[in-house]
Amino acid sequence: MKNLINFLINYSVLFLFLFLEIISFTLIVKNQDYQKNIFLTSSNSMVAGMYEWSNSVVEFFKLRSANDNLSEENTALKNQIIKLQNQISTLKPETIDSVHFRIPPEMEYQFIAAKVINCSTNKLLNYITLNKGARDGICPDMGVISDEGVVGIVKTVNSKNSVVIPILNPKLEISCKFKRSNYSGGLRWESGEDYRYANLTDIARHVEISLGDTLVTSGFTSNFPAGIPVGNIEDFKIKESDAYYKIKVKLSVNFRTLSHVKVINSLNYKEQKDLEKKSEEPQ
Amino acid sequence: MPVVLQNIFRFIILVLAQVLVLNNIQFLGYINPYLYILFILALPVQMPRWMTLLLAFALGLTIDIFSNTGGMHASASVLVAFSRNGIIKLFTSIEEGNNPTPSFYTFGVSAYVKYVVSLVFIHHTTLFILEAFSFANFWITFAKIILSSLVTVLMILGIQSLSKK
Repeated sequence: MKNLINFLINYSVLFLFLFLEIISFTLIVKNQDYQKNIFLTSSNSMVAGMYEWSNSVVEFFKLRSANDNLSEENTALKNQIIKLQNQISTLKPETIDSVHFRIPPEMEYQFIAAKVINCSTNKLLNYITLNKGARDGICPDMGVISDEGVVGIVKTVNSKNSVVIPILNPKLEISCKFKRSNYSGGLRWESGEDYRYANLTDIARHVEISLGDTLVTSGFTSNFPAGIPVGNIEDFKIKESDAYYKIKVKLSVNFRTLSHVKVINSLNYKEQKDLEKKSEEPQ
Repeated sequence: MPVVLQNIFRFIILVLAQVLVLNNIQFLGYINPYLYILFILALPVQMPRWMTLLLAFALGLTIDIFSNTGGMHASASVLVAFSRNGIIKLFTSIEEGNNPTPSFYTFGVSAYVKYVVSLVFIHHTTLFILEAFSFANFWITFAKIILSSLVTVLMILGIQSLSKK
């Protein structure tokens, strides 16, 4: 017994070392399951508070370009309103007697504005923290866009904050299509790649593409409506033996200067999911 | 007492600098310095080892919480704290009674540079390998380790050469 105690005392430092390493590794492994330990991440309210404070300083320097973007968007929206008003006035007499119980397809989506309070672009797995959470109506799986284009998908939510998996994370693949030809493929970012580019796969060799072609969301996944810009073709390669193109896409969102985003609340999301699930079940 | 206060102060400053400034650095996509381990490097030589380990763990965990990395920084920092004494013994000959704070003046220039380089290399290697968690992107990880270590070492030596005595 005495020997055992002596042994433990002599090697106490080694045991402490091993103990601390085991705790660290448990945390690392647990962190893979991102939902579980919201406590030890940046959606923790104290840490989020600090990032918000730091962001308020940094944001000041981005005000000018943010203003420019906003005014540009404003004018575009105003033009759209005028166009729509014109359309409504021409359509009015026809819709008087029709009754709508469902949400009409053009009103399927609502936007929740949120601010980015933490954003990494240089890790192998990047995440974004937003300053709004379940309290403001954000739920996991909602799509996130900015004025420039697609940002990512909401992963975890607590009452005040939420964490987004951006395109800059190999865990996310976004289905998108060419604006010109409607061929669709999956867009994915490789770990360690430049934050401005991602790769598009599944475009067969018979498809005609050219540099600068615009990519938009396909609308096949219910997170994003169709037609939101994703990026442009920067470069593409195809070997004699390949059946698919290797396409390098320049993302339309600049993740280094990201500050304001919109979370998409798809009102028909649940119904669509339920229906799709039902059709997959054996009859 | 002043030594304790000095270290508490250093802890806070280094964590803030790391989280608010250095984590946003992305130079050429590879260089991401981790200056915060200067805290472990600058603890007094004769400090009880269990205490260095616990302090390193606390430091690592704080950085982890801010950067959403689970326990990667904690694990790497604890390893640095554990190997610190061996490396001090390897490069310097500090007498039993003395309890200096590691610096150019107490270790001598060449011993101190060796000390910083080896510990920073241990830390960055562990950290980046844990971050990748596979050898699939080996060359990217390797380049990250080398380049980031270089920048961290330069920053630490720069800061240390500014401090008097």
